[in-house]
This record gives sequence, C-alpha cells and structure tokens, in this order.
Amino acid sequence: MKGQIALGLLALLALIGVTVAVTLGEQSRMTEFTRAYEARAIEAGATLFEDSCRPCHGPQGQGIEGVAPAINAADLFDGSRLAKIGYGGTLPDYVRGVIAAGRPVPSIGTTYPQRMPTWGAAFGGPLRDDQVDALTAFILNWQDRALGTGVPVPTGPTVGADITVAMPDGDAARGKSLSEGVLGCASCHVLTAVGPKWPADAGAPGIGSRAETRIQEPGYAGQATSAEQYLFESVVMSNAYVVEGFQPNLMPQNYADRLSAQDMADLLAYMLSLR
Amino acid sequence: MAIFRLHIPVLDEVKRKGLRTALNDKWVDVVTRVTAGLNPADVRGVLRDDPPGRPNPRLTPHAEGFWLHMKPTYYHRMVDGFYPTFRLGWLSTFFGVFEIVTGIYLMIYYTPSPVVAYENMLNLLSNVPFGQLMRDLHRLAAELMVIVVVLHMLRTFVTGSYKKPRQFTWATGVILLFVTLVLSFSGYLLPWDQLSLWAVTIGASMVEAIPPEIVGRNVNLLVRGAPEFGANGLLRFYLLHVVGLPLAGIVAFGVHYYKVIHHGHSLPPEGEKVGEDTAKRVPMDSRVYFMPEILTRELWYVAGLLAVLFAAAAYLYNAPALEPHANPLITPLHTTAPWYFLWLQGMLKIGDKVIWGLVIPGVLTGLLLLLPYFEVGPSRRYGDRRIGLSLAALFVAAMALLSYMGTPHYAVSTSPDQEAVAELLPQTHPGPLRSAPWDDLAYGSYEAAAWSAAPNATLQDLLHRYDEVLTDVQSAGRADVAGRMVIEDWQTDLKKVTLRVTWTNTADGTAGEFSQSVYLHRDGNYGQGA
Amino acid sequence: MTDAGVQTAPGADAGVPLSRREFLNYLWGASMAVFLAGGGGVTLWFALPRFREGEFGGVFTLPIAELPAPDSQPTDFPDGRFWLVNIGDAGLQDPRQPKDYSLQPGLKAIYKVCVHLGCVYKWVPTNDRFECPCHGSKYLKSGARIDGPARRNLDVFFIEVLDANGNVLSRSEPTMGSQEAAAVTIPAGAAALRIDTGRRVVGAVNSKPGGGI
Repeated sequence: MKGQIALGLLALLALIGVTVAVTLGEQSRMTEFTRAYEARAIEAGATLFEDSCRPCHGPQGQGIEGVAPAINAADLFDGSRLAKIGYGGTLPDYVRGVIAAGRPVPSIGTTYPQRMPTWGAAFGGPLRDDQVDALTAFILNWQDRALGTGVPVPTGPTVGADITVAMPDGDAARGKSLSEGVLGCASCHVLTAVGPKWPADAGAPGIGSRAETRIQEPGYAGQATSAEQYLFESVVMSNAYVVEGFQPNLMPQNYADRLSAQDMADLLAYMLSLR
Repeated sequence: MAIFRLHIPVLDEVKRKGLRTALNDKWVDVVTRVTAGLNPADVRGVLRDDPPGRPNPRLTPHAEGFWLHMKPTYYHRMVDGFYPTFRLGWLSTFFGVFEIVTGIYLMIYYTPSPVVAYENMLNLLSNVPFGQLMRDLHRLAAELMVIVVVLHMLRTFVTGSYKKPRQFTWATGVILLFVTLVLSFSGYLLPWDQLSLWAVTIGASMVEAIPPEIVGRNVNLLVRGAPEFGANGLLRFYLLHVVGLPLAGIVAFGVHYYKVIHHGHSLPPEGEKVGEDTAKRVPMDSRVYFMPEILTRELWYVAGLLAVLFAAAAYLYNAPALEPHANPLITPLHTTAPWYFLWLQGMLKIGDKVIWGLVIPGVLTGLLLLLPYFEVGPSRRYGDRRIGLSLAALFVAAMALLSYMGTPHYAVSTSPDQEAVAELLPQTHPGPLRSAPWDDLAYGSYEAAAWSAAPNATLQDLLHRYDEVLTDVQSAGRADVAGRMVIEDWQTDLKKVTLRVTWTNTADGTAGEFSQSVYLHRDGNYGQGA
Repeated sequence: MTDAGVQTAPGADAGVPLSRREFLNYLWGASMAVFLAGGGGVTLWFALPRFREGEFGGVFTLPIAELPAPDSQPTDFPDGRFWLVNIGDAGLQDPRQPKDYSLQPGLKAIYKVCVHLGCVYKWVPTNDRFECPCHGSKYLKSGARIDGPARRNLDVFFIEVLDANGNVLSRSEPTMGSQEAAAVTIPAGAAALRIDTGRRVVGAVNSKPGGGI
C-alpha cells in the first residue's frame, strides 16, 4: 500500500507538470488556432465564390462588362469607391451587406441589365451568416493584389503591348507551367469553358492551329499578321477581337505589364504547340 | 451595564481551561465533525496505517456521515485486487463523474442553437484558455467510458455475477449502459459540424422506421423536434444530454450501487461453493478495510487516471477536428456513425431496416435485460457455464464483425473516379493533401503517372498515392485512365488545387472526366490535428 | 483514555514521531492541495470572459484621422459605450468648470454610464453639457459633475496613443492630487488611438453643489 501512496504522489506531480506545460503554451496555441480558422474561412469563401459569384464577377473578381462590376479592384480597397457612393461604414461591412442583401435596386450610375441576387438567409437567400462572412473574408483577401502590393512584379522590362516586336526563342514546357501556375490561364482556357479552349477538343483543333486560320477570316478585327502575333494580341489586348460566342472584358487587361519578353515567348511557344 | 454583559460560551471555555487547551479542544472538535467521527489522532492513525483499536473509530464516518454512507467499511480480500472485477465498475463511475465536471466547464461557453453552436466551438478552441483541453478531455473520457462500461458488463456476465440475488442489479446495469450510449450519442450532435449532423442523422433515422408509420413519424418528430435535425432537435438533444440522461443515470446508478453494496461484491466463482452466495459474510481475517487500504487505492487510481487523461489529451489525443459547419443539404462522402454504433450500421446493410434495425436490436436488448431471470443455472463456475461463455465470445465476435461491416468502406462506394479523388481529398477529415506542407505545393500541372518527376518529396508522395488509387478506376468499361493535379496561385497565400481524372469509355469511345478542386491557405494548419 | 493491556489508543498521540508512510501521505495531501489550487487557477482563467478587439470590454483602435476636432461636439461610440471628447481652449476656459479639478487639453474617452445609478446620460447641445434623464445629474464635456445627485466625476477609459509601428507614445496618466485620468495629448508621429474599455478609471470625488470637493 505504501507503493500506492508513492505512485499517487508521483501521479499528482506529473499531473501538475502537465497542467503547467499546457498553461505555458495556451496563449500561442489560441493565436495559432484563430489564424487557422480565419484561413479556413478564406478557403470556404473561395469555393463559395467559384460556385455563386464567378459567373457574373469573373473567376478573379475582375468583373464582366455589362454584367457585374469588378470586386478585385483598387478603387474598392483604397476607399475611393465607398467615398464616391457616400458609404460611411467600413469596407468589410460594405462587402458583407452587399452580399447578404444583394441589389434589389440598381446602384446609381450603373446600367447592368440584371440585379445582384440576395444571398443572405436573413433576407431570403441561400447562404448562412457564416458563409456570407467566409465570402467577405475571401474578397477582402484580394486587397494586396488589387492595390498592387502583392502581385509578383517581374524584375526588368515588361513585354508591352506592341505585338510586332521581335520575340526571343520560347520554351513551350515553361510556357505550359506558367499558364497552369502563376498566370492562371488554365482555369479559364483549359479546365473550364469561360474562354476559348486551348487544347484540341472533340474534333476541334487546338489554339495553335486556330490562330493560323483565324487571321484569314473576314470577321477578324485585330492587327495581327501571323499566328504568333494573333496569340500575342489576344493576351495583351483581348478586346481587339473577341471570338464569337464569348464575352469581352473577361480577361485581365494587365498582362502587358506583368510578363517579361521571355515569359511571353514561352507562353506563345506553348500555345502554338497545341494543335 | 446590562447590555454589555454578553454571554459567549467559547470565552468561558478559554477562561476555564486556558487558551492553548481550549484551542486544541476546538481543533479536535472541528476535525471530528468534519470527518464524521475521527479525531485528529484517529486521522493520524489512518495515515500511518496503525491498528485501529476497539471500537474501530474508522467505521463511524460510514455509519454517521453522508458521503461514505453507502460505501462499504470493508471488502472481502478475494475481491480486493485487480481480479475478478478489474475495478471496472469503479472506473465507470469515475468516468461518469469526470464527464459531469468537464461537461460543466464546457457548458459555460456553449449555447444549443444552430446559429451559434459552431461559432461557440470555434470560440472555445481559439479564445478560451484550456478550451481545447476541456473539449479533448470530455471527448476522450466519453469514448473510454463507453469501452469501460461494456467491459464491465462483459466481466459481470463472465463471472456470473448477475445470478440470484443480483438480478435487478444487472437490470439497472443494462439501463445504465443504455444511458451511457445515448449520452454519448446526444453529445455527438452538439458541435454542429458536418460530422455531428450526419452521424446523428444516420443514427436517429432508425426511429423513423418504427412501424406502423404513424408511430414512427411521430416518434421521429418527438426526438428531432422536426422532420430533420435543426434548432429544435439540437435543443432537445442538448436537454437530454445535460439534464434528462444525467438525472436518469444518477437515479439508476443510485439503485445499482446500493444493491451492489447491499449484496456485497460477488466473490470469484471458484471462491465459494456452487449455488451459495457468501459475499456478505466476510470472516474477520478476510477483511480489507476502507480506511486506509481501499481509500488509498481509490485516491491513487484517481491521481493516476487524471495524470494519464490530462497527458493524453494534451499530447496524444485530439478530439476530431471541427469539420465544416453543418449543412443539411450536403452529405459528405464516407460519412460514418460513431464507432459504438457501427454494429447497428452493419446490421442495416444486411437487410430490411425494420427487422435488422429495430426488431433484432430490440430483441437483443430485451434478452440482455431479462438475462438473469431466465438464465438461472445455480453455478457461477466457468467450467459449468461453457455454453454461456461461448455465447458471450460469439456475441463479441459478431459485434466486431458487424462493426467492420458498418464502416463506410464496406459495401458503400461511389464511382471509382470519385473514390480516387477522395483518397487525397476526403470529405470527412483533412486527408493527405490538406495536411501537406503548404510551401511544398509548387505551382504547376502534374500528371499522376509521372510522380517520380515531381519537384519535391511531398508532391512525389501525393502523386504516387494518387497514381496507385487510379489503377482502381481502370476497368473493363474504362481505359486510358489518367490523373492530373494542377496547383495555381489564386490569391495572397491562397492556392487552388484541382484534381482531375480522365478516361475513355470503351463502350462508345467517348471521353469521361471528373474533377474536384480545393482552395488551400498557407495558415490552414490542417496537419496539426485541430 | 489508555488502559494498560488493551490496545485502545485511538490512533497516535502527538508525541509519536512521523512514520515514512505518514510522511508520504502528508506529501501526497500537499500535492493534492497544490493541484486543487492550480485547478482553481485554471478554472478561473477558463471562466473569466475575454473580449476581442471591437467588443465592449475589449480594445478599440481609432486612426488619428477619425478623432474629433478640439472643442467640437463629443463623438459617440455606442459599440464601445464611450463618448470621445477633445478638450480645447474653449473647454479650458469654461466658467462652469469646478476649480478643484485641474484640466488639461486633449482627448478623453468618457464612459456613457452615469456614475450615480447607472443610467445612460445624454449629450444636450443646446446646454453644452451631458444630462442624465434619471435623476438629473449634469456633467461638462470634461467629465466634471456640475449638478445632480451623482457623487463623482464621470469615469473614463484608459487611452494609449500609438505610432505607426504600434509603439505607445503617450497614455492616460493620473492627475496631480487625485487618481482621475488626465486628458491625453496627441504628440507628433501619432497614428492611432487605442481605447481599452476593459480598464476604467474612476472619476474624482465631487459632491459640492455646482461641482467641487
């Protein structure tokens, strides 16, 4: 029985030790967990955005002309849009309110043919409060990119919008990884049908072949004189000629300032390889 | 003056005996009252394990005190050790009390409403010191309690301790088993995440199947408060969990423990003659007294168990990480019942749900309850009860098999392409892709077959797993199966990962495709178990 | 009482030395007491409510741009349950200000609850003072009581002035001769104001008619 007393004493000392150890780590554990669930809210918001908001606002929130305004826009995050409409609250409240209540009445100065739906459950929409909060967190996470503070800016000169400039030799494999990675081309041109599909698909030729034939067509309104120039133009000046069946203003307009000449050459080489 | 002549008895004593003696006498008086019969010298004697002297003062706290009143003053030496009881009844009680204490802590931060319950859980884990510890302790002890209670029942059966005169003790024990299981089940719903909602929906759906239809429908409405779980159901389950079942449990426990002590712990079967029950007649030389032996042992058990539970909850065990908020419109793939109800799910996969989900479990429960009233063989010896013991072993094996059959991987599957993607991106827990180090997920497009060419070990690992699981998609109907994982930069610290499976249908040459994408944030912290 | 021959000693008397078992038991008891005390601490830390930023009871951070101008109307912060007042020259020269309380220019975050019996007083612009509807206590913008059954000046919340990196440039300090908090001036380089509604500084005693000690 004396053994039980000694063991009991040791057990209690171990218990006190564990309690102290937990106490010391609690503050940082709580901070870490808070950060984790804020991060997961952004993830949940991203999925909700893809399902509910992308069709009108575009996959990267850049807006679709004639359909919905840009959300991933500097004027939203630097306060000018709110100042223009005279909204006195905070940006998170604004975003949350617009999502939850929608726009039953068109905003002054806009002529969008369709109204933004009401999303919040309190007003008859399909989303719970925590889902509206998640969407808000996701949208607010565009701040860095919208204000240009987070975009990976290429070091050195960018390629610019002159499609006649001579290009270095391109590496199609690198172009492929750029398109599927940082530039995000694949999300509209390969994985979904938001933009013309790049790879060959069910009998239709790939974009490399189509570029050659497109410049010969009578309806073509751009300046390109070769397949490579056509593809260059469609990246940096997508509104110069929009293929029938697709909407203008879907593509980001800033590739001319984001890509170096080598980046563009690689991308063009890849696209041309898709017959 | 008369008004100042107050009579304070204590001061009289001090005047009479002197301050020192008076204080000492007061101290002795207080200790004797608090311990209900032991003066300080007696207490010291207990601590020293001295022979108690006659009359034994250590019996007085039992006879005259409240807390020790039901506890026996001595045990028979044959039931004092680990065998034959393994102290499982004591352990069940310990866990019950432990759950009540940790439960009360958790109640401070929980409101049973679907609008805030999930948020309360997030708050508990992120903004309450020791919140995660309390939740993990409560969950860990709940799962252990179910195991311990079942083992206790098994032990009682094997040693034949349910026989005359202890039949009703056994019956109250079955009631306590039922209370434990429903306590665990009702608590499962409270976090209100996807796991909670769907696990409990699966379990409660049996209630709707009670024939005739009008009874089933109304019992379902009573239990869930609505055709489906929602605000009403959550509140009812909370009340059950926090008020109804604990009250029922305390009452049943009171009867159960009283009868255990009244009849005495049954001796090991080989320790007494067949048909006799000599548990109450303990000769003087076979007595192990509560004070100090049993008391010391129980205190040591408490200390040891608390140390193990706290250490386990702090370092080894984490309650299942909160899944996404409950969504009544989406059932996750491979959703599953809590493990102690897997046997029921296994039964449901065999055949008609009324027979296998209600009738057979009902009959089994009835048999269990009435067991001591029809199994009336006089001998408790193992050798004389071979049929019974074999049936018990068979029962355990059957439950294990049924539990395996109840797991989601048995006889439940969707199309193999979805299963392949679910291997990396499960819908019920983080899984390998979410837990992988975020920085290792390099941007790019990767083919599963080319896994060895991936830029780092994490990606090679993931793609290899993907590749292996894709071989199941290859079948007579599908050829040219290929898998691809695309990782894109989506927002600051946010990556989008898309898993695609493509194949060609051999029947008509058309192409088939399935893809699923997920967004992963740098700080998502899925690998940490919370 | 002991009887020779019969072991009736009711346990050990004080004179008997400690046995090893007894000592271990005492140690064990002490460790149980330590654990219970620690458990009490854990329970307390667990149960004491914590307030996030922006919640009453927690901290409110205001950029300098949003602060009221000196001598302007008090700014209402209902979420934080305080009025933000900026005492300028006009406030310093207010004839109604009781002489017993030194007044500095600067910012004060005044708790909206009347210090008499807990009602929420109003700001009455036409009278340029706070007035409580329940029993008629009246206070100036500086928080000094000038009339009514209240017995002290208004309570204020602790203020810290931060620069762009979050360093504290200045904070609420007690005034000379009392524990009441002085107004906080905004030094150069300030970027934000941090008001901690979890720390309340009680107003100085004020019970003379018209205000004063």
